Amino acid sequence: SSQLSSVPLQMLFYINGIYYIFYFLASLALIIYKSQVFSYPDDFLAPDLASLLIMAGFEVLRLYLGSKGNLTEEQAPLGLSLVTTLGSVVFSVYFLVWQTHVLKADVILNTVLLCAYGLEAVLKVTAIAAFVS
Amino acid sequence: VARLCVCDLLVAECDANCCCDPDCTEADFSLFTTCSVPIVTGDSRLCSQKAAVYSLDVDANPAERIFELIDQVNPSVFCIHSTNYKQLLSFSSPEMPTPENFDQLLKQFGRAAFSAEPEPDSWNSNTDVQNPSDANETYRYEHGAPVQTEDAFLRLPRPVVSSWCSDANPAGFLVNQATKCTRSVSMEKCGSIQAVSMLFYINSSILAKLYEFVFQVNITVQAVVVQSQDGMRTLLNDSDALRLPMILDDLCINIVLGVSYHITYTDAGEIIEAAASFVLGAINKEALSIQQSFEISFTQVNTQPVPLSGNPGYIVGLPIRAGFLPQGYPFPAEMSLQHNTNKHGQLTILQSTSSQDCLAAQGARAPVLFGYNMISGCTLRITAATKCQPLTQTLLDLLKGQNFPEYVASFGNSQAQDVLDWVPIIHLHTSEQVKSSCQIPVSLEIEVKWTKYGSLVNPQARILNVTATIATTTLQQLPSGRERTFPVTSSVVFTDISSPAEPGYKAWPTINAKLPFDFFFPFV
Repeated sequence: SSQLSSVPLQMLFYINGIYYIFYFLASLALIIYKSQVFSYPDDFLAPDLASLLIMAGFEVLRLYLGSKGNLTEEQAPLGLSLVTTLGSVVFSVYFLVWQTHVLKADVILNTVLLCAYGLEAVLKVTAIAAFVS
Repeated sequence: VARLCVCDLLVAECDANCCCDPDCTEADFSLFTTCSVPIVTGDSRLCSQKAAVYSLDVDANPAERIFELIDQVNPSVFCIHSTNYKQLLSFSSPEMPTPENFDQLLKQFGRAAFSAEPEPDSWNSNTDVQNPSDANETYRYEHGAPVQTEDAFLRLPRPVVSSWCSDANPAGFLVNQATKCTRSVSMEKCGSIQAVSMLFYINSSILAKLYEFVFQVNITVQAVVVQSQDGMRTLLNDSDALRLPMILDDLCINIVLGVSYHITYTDAGEIIEAAASFVLGAINKEALSIQQSFEISFTQVNTQPVPLSGNPGYIVGLPIRAGFLPQGYPFPAEMSLQHNTNKHGQLTILQSTSSQDCLAAQGARAPVLFGYNMISGCTLRITAATKCQPLTQTLLDLLKGQNFPEYVASFGNSQAQDVLDWVPIIHLHTSEQVKSSCQIPVSLEIEVKWTKYGSLVNPQARILNVTATIATTTLQQLPSGRERTFPVTSSVVFTDISSPAEPGYKAWPTINAKLPFDFFFPFV
């Protein structure tokens, strides 16, 4: 029996999970730092914090769906995970470009996350292709 | 950044040691010793920014200025890569008013002070004059509000721009004013110029409360003084009759030369009484203009106004308050200082007159003003016939005046009831050694020692000590027929004896940590 589940994809999900925990804590710490050092009015702070929390939710959903789909070799959850990845990409781009204050640390964190998303997307597509056929 | 130069202060001229000044030539740069502004950058928190670096190359002969435009990189991980919040890095320029946003801008910024959140309601509340729906609220006069009469305002003419009188100046409530202005008159229009007739000033009645026409106060005539052509004034006995300008013996008499209003008010902001005193004069055919003086003063009902010389410390230029203690001082029940509000009880010194003869200028005295050192004097001529004792008495009267006070207020607002706030005047005598012959006083020196009292940022002047020193000299007997003149002087000197201020520091805070009494419970 050939195993259709993609091992690299699963490894990537695992690494992504750990990295995302680090990313979430680091982003939160950076927002706190920015609010102390710079002028960060409340009506600019609220969208940034809300985006971070929603992004965390998306990420959990995405990783769960993707992992489940990959392990059970079903394309539906995997496809859903791909769509959710799109949402996460938008959030990551928001934190990279449209955030109130973008520090170099923000740029580094989000660039790594976007690379991970890109790689995952490619692997998901190949996995879906493998499952379908 | 290449165009920014902080040290370029002189326009079209080279500033010394300013390497970024565009007005400097090569020759100027060779004279510089150092660059006062070595680098011009933007905000250093940005990750990458342009910087203009200026330096002097002193080894080259002549010295040269080196200018480089480099990219400065902030190596920290927390440098700002970009920001979407424009106000972070630069001040925002305010909105330009246009016809569309003018009203909104006026509402937001049109007051003396404004905060970040605009308050659109408070702009209109103070300026809403006609408000008939507010029937329950009574309007009362506030400080500075124009005193209203039934047709307009109580007028206090004053000069505007030039010295001609303008009648459009309203009297402000509780604003004591005194003004002088010139009015053009002529004999032909004697009866027809309104502004020189008494009727003009007492015609309308004053409203007791703002905007309420029910209660009105008539202006009564308190006193009428007639001034003759040579300046002598006489008080008329009957002040009830209204005197209108009329022609009498080639003169136009009953011309108003001065009006003095006295308004009595209550502490609820109502005017209950108004009185006017007039000075009437006469003009002849040649007169083209007269000078009128106007005054208004406000007194609270049931009070005796005492002009303060400061609150609490004395203000430079205001008269020193002085008074007497009535007989029987040590009894606390009667303790009070008779404070004289008229000029006769004040601390005064001799006033120099144009005729320097002491005996001719009896009674001319000048009040002692706080902070103003004064010296005055006159000359006294004595002959052989002058006797010692009357001369001594005359000179003492001359130097000290009629009612030389005994106590001086230490603060500008000392009340007459607080006896401890008043400083006694110490009298000293200095005389030459010879005691037997006649000693006549020739000079009075009043030395007022004062100190700064209170806080460092707003020190108040407080009088601590007043010493009146009379110096006497021997009167030598003159051979008959000869006469001598000698000067008599009086002076006032104010000395500041305040010790230099020492800042006081608060004590270190102590840590008050005590264990509760049952901390070692099982063992204690």
